[in-house]
Amino acid sequence: MKWAFPLTLLACVAVQTVLLDFVSVAGVRPDCFLLLVLFWAPHARPETATLQGFAAGLTQDALSGGPLGLKAFILSLLGFLTARLSRRLATEKPLPQFWLLLAAAGGAGLLSVGLLSFFLGPPPLLATLRVVVPEILYTALLGFLVLRVPPVQPKRTRPA
Amino acid sequence: MLWRLIAKHRRAVILGATLIASFLLMTLQVRHDPAVVAFTRQAVLMAVSPVIKVTAVALGSVGQVWQDYIDLRTVRKENLQLRREAAIRERRVSQLEEQALETQRLQGLLAIRDASRADFLAARVVGRDTSNWFKTILIDRGSSAGIRRNLPVIAPDGLVGRVFEVTPTLSKVQLLTDPVSAAGGLVQRTRVAGIVFGNLEAGLVVRYLPQLADVAVGDEMITSGLGGVFPKGIPVGRVVAVERRSGALFQEATLQPKVDLSRLEEVLILLQPDAPAGVEAGGLRQK
Repeated sequence: MKWAFPLTLLACVAVQTVLLDFVSVAGVRPDCFLLLVLFWAPHARPETATLQGFAAGLTQDALSGGPLGLKAFILSLLGFLTARLSRRLATEKPLPQFWLLLAAAGGAGLLSVGLLSFFLGPPPLLATLRVVVPEILYTALLGFLVLRVPPVQPKRTRPA
Repeated sequence: MLWRLIAKHRRAVILGATLIASFLLMTLQVRHDPAVVAFTRQAVLMAVSPVIKVTAVALGSVGQVWQDYIDLRTVRKENLQLRREAAIRERRVSQLEEQALETQRLQGLLAIRDASRADFLAARVVGRDTSNWFKTILIDRGSSAGIRRNLPVIAPDGLVGRVFEVTPTLSKVQLLTDPVSAAGGLVQRTRVAGIVFGNLEAGLVVRYLPQLADVAVGDEMITSGLGGVFPKGIPVGRVVAVERRSGALFQEATLQPKVDLSRLEEVLILLQPDAPAGVEAGGLRQK
């Protein structure tokens, strides 16, 4: 179990860099690293989920042409928030699950645009819409199909 | 006391530390390219490169097995003898087609080699960028094969990009269409110089073309050799649109890249970027 996250992270690397190229729609691919964090965060304590998000984001940044730290920032925050809110927002109904995934992917997408605008200057609006909107929808849809597992109520050990 | 305080608020501390670390990393890169960023990128790339390579190889094998399986299902209705013959034929045809395609691609690479005097190295594409924002590819050659940062990468049809990150066994190539990519360009017909930028929307955009310069749809754009990364004369793309705004100092052109960057399988890395290559100056010599 200790190795479960690193192993799934490596699998995610292989999927995102090699395999997802075959299922890209108009050059846009879903964000598997985001789904990985969303999968593990409800099972972990917020601090662990934050570190998992940081590790996943840093790996994604290192394999991307973007600035190192961009996805690390977003996925750390996403991991923390997911771990904190998973109990309150847990639902087995499909539609709310999809909306939650859409909100998570949308939030991550908007944060990406915000950070990129801050560090590299504002990207063209049309290009942003062309990349961000399909990515959010594609990621949410894939997440809905792949992550539709019953919400887990993890055993959280309280520190002494 | 301090440790107790940290332990008490460890969630906030860890979240704050990761966010600050991420933000600092991004800030450092905007100002300059610090060693810690290069080191982190290289360490992660080195750690995951075996996984990417193994997956790329396995995918090829699985694809072959899958193709065989599909072929066999198609001929299952026929008798055993015919099925065997058909399967053998199908497989041979498939292999020959693949060989023919590969030969075609390699002939393209050899044509460049014959026409040039620069050294180059062939590499296979094993992975693509993990985000939709940036356009990079991973190739199966690294510093152990003589690759270093900023070497130009080309395909039979023209320019692909430049080497961006290098590990001993794997390298990352920034494609021309990456939104932070830029290369000096020259309109082949009129010798007007501009700068070719990657663009998420249009693919390639040429900026800083003088307003009165003669640039027309259909013109071929080649590298200008200015900037010190790309040698002069490598085909970049064809002009598909020209935009002249009244009152502006410069006009802009949209380019269709010469190379289909979404379907790259093999590339060449120019090991002597100073040596001219391409249609104007001749090709390359394979190592």
